[in-house]
Amino acid sequence: MSEKRKQEIQRIKELESINLAREDIRDLVIETKKQVEKDNDSLAEQINDELNKKGIKSIDIVGAIGSGKTALLEKIAEKLSKKYRILVICGDITTRVDADRIEKHNVETIQINTGRECALNAYHIYQIIKNKDLNNYDLIFVENVGNLICPSDFKLGTDKRITIVSITEGEWVIEKHPMLFKMSDVAVINKTDLLERLGTNIDKMANDAKNFNPKIKVIMTSAKEGKNIDKLIEALEL
Amino acid sequence: MVSKMEEILKEIEKVINNLELNSQSQIKELLNNFLKTHLNRSKIDNFIGDYPTFIEPVYLEENVKIGDDVLLGPNVFIGKNSEIEDYVEISNSIIYSDAKIGENIKLDNCIIGKNSLLNCANINIDNCVVIGDVKNKEDLHKIMFKFK
Repeated sequence: MSEKRKQEIQRIKELESINLAREDIRDLVIETKKQVEKDNDSLAEQINDELNKKGIKSIDIVGAIGSGKTALLEKIAEKLSKKYRILVICGDITTRVDADRIEKHNVETIQINTGRECALNAYHIYQIIKNKDLNNYDLIFVENVGNLICPSDFKLGTDKRITIVSITEGEWVIEKHPMLFKMSDVAVINKTDLLERLGTNIDKMANDAKNFNPKIKVIMTSAKEGKNIDKLIEALEL
Repeated sequence: MVSKMEEILKEIEKVINNLELNSQSQIKELLNNFLKTHLNRSKIDNFIGDYPTFIEPVYLEENVKIGDDVLLGPNVFIGKNSEIEDYVEISNSIIYSDAKIGENIKLDNCIIGKNSLLNCANINIDNCVVIGDVKNKEDLHKIMFKFK
């Protein structure tokens, strides 16, 4: 292997950790890392432009596994499938369980199985919208892989982002995940039907979200009982 | 019973095995029609490999081997016994059976013939038919049939 190639490999390896980078190239490593992040962001901007040009509204839904992302989407689809032509993109490590559930409510779905990746990125979404006739849709939802950490690293080019937590995750869940709430437009606190049994302090949860992001709209829902779904739809301006 | 999908795949195979200069628009139409109309569902439950990324629809026949960091889809059909090595990305394409796509190749809008071997890393190939063995870029330019 040539010396130049070895150096290149060393540089790319160091990209994985700025802390491990040699002093003389740390600035280069940081700059390259920034450029990589920029690539996702500029692709996300391009996606948003294309969707806007076609008059398509788009919403990205993020939340932990089991917080109720799919259940809420089912309820939203039930209410909106006559008003809008909806496409739902579902991200999961594997299986088509979520897409199958949502499809029952008369909306088109596309499943992305990310394999070992913990979040969707702009390139996944770009590959879909590039290959679809966008004239067939008015509204696109993206249900991200169940995770409250990684999705904050990747913008997807949607107009709005909802972050969903459920009261079963404990009242500290929002406090512990500031990034996502800072970049979300709506915070949903789900499973309020279990409130009496669990006694979770939901006012604290709502305040935490507002503290991180004063502009965020906080909606308490019970997807199971269909409670406050209309409020959520209103908050999304749909 | 032969399914409609198999029927169309055979029809496309016949055309790519008898390519003529004026086959371009016919291939383009056949590929488009197959991907948009006949490849309307995924089948990804039976591959050999760890954790590739799939964007629907992706249809894998039996015994397909898939390497690491592979992105397949949307609109991909891969025939039986074919092998996709590491860092490959394929969209809008048909890979016939017993073919091998070597490391670090990106394919979009391509048809790769039965038993073909693509083994020249670090290349993007689009809008073409490849039948035969490709071991370097020169081979590729010799045998590929561009249809756009």
